[in-house]
Amino acid sequence: MKHVRNTIKATAALAAMLASAPAIAAWEPTKPVEIVVAAGAGGASDQMARMMQAAIQKNNLMKQPMVVSLKGGASGAEALMYMKSSDGDANKVLIAYSLIYMLPLSAKIPFNWRELTPVSVVAMDQFVLWDNAAGPKTVKEFIAAAKAAASPFKMGGTGSKREDHVLTVFMEQKTGAKFSYLPYKSGGEAATQLVGNHTEANVNNPSENLEVWRAGQVRALCVFDKERISYKTKVTETQSWNDIPTCKEEGLDVQYLMLRAMFLPGKVTAEQVAFYVDLFQKVTQTTEYKEYMEKQALKPVFLTGKDMLKFLEEDDKLNASLMNQAGFVAK
Amino acid sequence: MSNTEIEIVVEDPTAPEADSPVVTSVRVVDVTVSLLLLVLAAVLGFDNWRTGIAWDSTGPQAGYFPFYLSIILAGASLYGLVAAFRSRKEARETFVTRAQLRRVMQVFVPTLLFCLAVQFLGLYVASFGLIAAFMRLVGRIALWKSLLTAFLFTAIMFLTFDVAFDVIMPKGPLERAMGR
Amino acid sequence: MEALGLLMHGFAVLLTWKTLTLMMVGLVLGIFVGVLPGLGGPNGVAILLPLTFTMDPTSAIVMLSCIYWGALFGGAITSILFNIPGEAWSVATTFDGYPMAQQGRAAEALTAAFTSSFIGSLAAVLLITFLAPMISSFALKFGPPEFFSVYLLTFCSFVGLGREAKHKTVISMSLGLLLAGIGMDTVSGQLRMTFGSNDLLRGVNFLVAVIGLFGISEILLTMEERLALRGHAAGISLKVVLKVWRELPRYWVTLLRSSFIGCWLGITPGGAIAASFMGYNLAKRFSKDPESFGKGRIEGVFAPETAAHASGTAALLPMLALGIPGSGTAAILLGGLMVWGLNPGPLLFVEHKDFVWGLIASMYLGNVVGLVLVLTTVPIFASILRVPFAAVAPMIVVSCAIGAYAIQNAMFDIWLMLGFGVVGYVFKKIGIPLAPFTLALVLGNRAEDAFRLSMIGAGGDMKVFWSNGLVGSITTLAIVLLFWPVIERVFAGAGRLMRPAKA
Repeated sequence: MKHVRNTIKATAALAAMLASAPAIAAWEPTKPVEIVVAAGAGGASDQMARMMQAAIQKNNLMKQPMVVSLKGGASGAEALMYMKSSDGDANKVLIAYSLIYMLPLSAKIPFNWRELTPVSVVAMDQFVLWDNAAGPKTVKEFIAAAKAAASPFKMGGTGSKREDHVLTVFMEQKTGAKFSYLPYKSGGEAATQLVGNHTEANVNNPSENLEVWRAGQVRALCVFDKERISYKTKVTETQSWNDIPTCKEEGLDVQYLMLRAMFLPGKVTAEQVAFYVDLFQKVTQTTEYKEYMEKQALKPVFLTGKDMLKFLEEDDKLNASLMNQAGFVAK
Repeated sequence: MSNTEIEIVVEDPTAPEADSPVVTSVRVVDVTVSLLLLVLAAVLGFDNWRTGIAWDSTGPQAGYFPFYLSIILAGASLYGLVAAFRSRKEARETFVTRAQLRRVMQVFVPTLLFCLAVQFLGLYVASFGLIAAFMRLVGRIALWKSLLTAFLFTAIMFLTFDVAFDVIMPKGPLERAMGR
Repeated sequence: MEALGLLMHGFAVLLTWKTLTLMMVGLVLGIFVGVLPGLGGPNGVAILLPLTFTMDPTSAIVMLSCIYWGALFGGAITSILFNIPGEAWSVATTFDGYPMAQQGRAAEALTAAFTSSFIGSLAAVLLITFLAPMISSFALKFGPPEFFSVYLLTFCSFVGLGREAKHKTVISMSLGLLLAGIGMDTVSGQLRMTFGSNDLLRGVNFLVAVIGLFGISEILLTMEERLALRGHAAGISLKVVLKVWRELPRYWVTLLRSSFIGCWLGITPGGAIAASFMGYNLAKRFSKDPESFGKGRIEGVFAPETAAHASGTAALLPMLALGIPGSGTAAILLGGLMVWGLNPGPLLFVEHKDFVWGLIASMYLGNVVGLVLVLTTVPIFASILRVPFAAVAPMIVVSCAIGAYAIQNAMFDIWLMLGFGVVGYVFKKIGIPLAPFTLALVLGNRAEDAFRLSMIGAGGDMKVFWSNGLVGSITTLAIVLLFWPVIERVFAGAGRLMRPAKA
């Protein structure tokens, strides 16, 4: 039922977008638009929301101002419930990531992303395996050291039973090494704890470890993607993002990419969706967006309408199966 | 030396009389609070017990700390209950006199109504209403002064939060009619 | 000297028109809330905090710390002119300040109070300036066990050193810790104590609690009492100021002693109140003429004000460096830091140099500007008290509601605030201290997470809390402080046994 409704909605959105091709959207927000962040201040989602806010304001993409509203309570569940309860309110946009699939499974939160209105996928985020600059130099050495260690290696990450935790479990399953996973409140905390040698490794997003990497305090071992990150400008003294090998190259066959996507609440009109599709498409063409993608080593992607729905359904299945295999689904 | 000295005298015509009858003693309130805390401790303790209070291989489960905290809270409240029963001092101490209670209710009830009004009418309308009504009815201040103060204060708050800082406050029918 | 270079950098960050304007606005707002009945430092900062959410962290903290300075100055105004201490630590100021005002020496007393606050804060700021760089090198040693031991130290010192009945401190703290646990547990990713409610999902925000506990409950309490005021407004002339300043050197021992006491006690939690009394009592004990204290002696204003402000300022050091607030206001500022995404703790000095040194520089500037401002505007602020309470009370209620709502844009929080208002009113009247509650609400989750992360890391071995010198000594100190009353009694007993033997 829901599925059908959504497909209709998406087709309508697409039709509306085509109809209003030269960007004269029929609908426009009449009051400040809230961009809802499902994470704490300073996290990757927050930074991205602020980038969009700046891009929209500097390039005059919208008449009304955009307000960032942080709803990181309960590991982001607060934002999901907030969006769910705002049916029909087109002045709220959620900047979502994989929590939309994982939280309902791990914490039994009564939420389904199909109840919201997908607008567009704006980027894909990478995961990198990092260790302390004084630690093992390659993935092989790292795995060997982890296996040989008397007490399990400590792996830092953000939150429990989420993407970082899943990746850790998969590394255990693929290599046979044991890790104890330490869930911190934010990626920033996980980064500094790695620098202080309180953990042996973490699987942070590039943006979360960027500063300590540039300071030469941590080492990037491998990236959890099929191909290397494309950016070739030097980030540290000696390395660019492109210099980080993929984990598969290094013999660790684990891949994971995380979506960064925009959602409106449920029950909004096709014109409203069309306005935002157009808005975020324009955002992806701004220099602010492009610079941000490169600086944070994100994969620029833009999916909307049917393509997005197809992607979401597949991504949902993939995440659900990962969560099941890791044993993180609450009974 | 300081010839700029000015005497400030503020009289309070509605001040509570000193000889008003006592409504309740500190002991009664102390006992009530202890009992309420015991109930709270029991409810929270039960919920945490359901969540899991064991000590896993990786340290305590989610309910472990809150569960034992609720036991500590229950213990301290029980101790408080006994101490309050035995304390003669608390029995003699006045918690609140009738006149005082009336004055406290004069603020509490409007505040309660204000919170209700925020929910349905939006914050700005409610705050205009609260300030004007409170000044007029409780403070017996001239009607025009009350209305003007309420209007000015509400307007300043609106300009600061909604216009200058983009902090979105609860809105009601009036704001919707004005298109905000 | 690295510290000086960084400090100069801090001044460079501050010396823009925008920041200076914010400072002035903050100071005026601060004095305003300091003078208003039913507000005061922590309440004022709590209510005005949401105003700064849309600013960048440096401007925000500059403005907030100026509100804080302003509130401290404002507290002195009401203590001296009206015998109403705005904060607990202004109580000692009233002992000699109010008699002075009654004798027509209000201007002198005010000048003395402002000047000595300035001296006290300056001493503490100097301390912070020179200790701060050392903290950053110390920073990276902090892992989960170290963090936990520091939190433990804070909690234990509250229970062990608090003056209230022990069981009431325990009630207050365990209730705070329990409420802090509501919502999602970070370590297991499970929900707890939410009873299926969406509003409880995000947990109890401590700022909402603070606004209710302090702001709303204070209105209820103020209303209950007789509001008649009788006091003296005073204009301060340059002549009086110069006269007091000429007398200053005579009291250098008192000033120095109080600064030292303040700095020392400020670093330990809950210090400012103790510091002001200790400063006053020691000045009295060492005075050649202790009888004249309490009858309007200028030294009796110098001593507590210097100590209170030195400790109020020094309290910011443990807050920034370890995430442990030394005072109620520092606890609220701590919450603010977290809202801006700055994690207080040793790493703050490494990761956000601009912010830390901007704040330290703003302490210097805020003090100077504040001193000038209060000396010139006392009569205006004193006349605020003539505004009828019936007009002030509803405005405070509205400000509280705006503050509570703005934190998370949730209507539920306004109701929560009201509930905490009632709780605060009842707790204050039956002697359950609110400070441990607030502290527990701020630090509860962090302490629990730190403990559980230590356990995961160590495979469930408690010995991790004594695994190195740093964590071991902090943990041991925490346990000593928890049992301090017992230890004190044993020592006192031993002392009694020794004395007859000596004699």
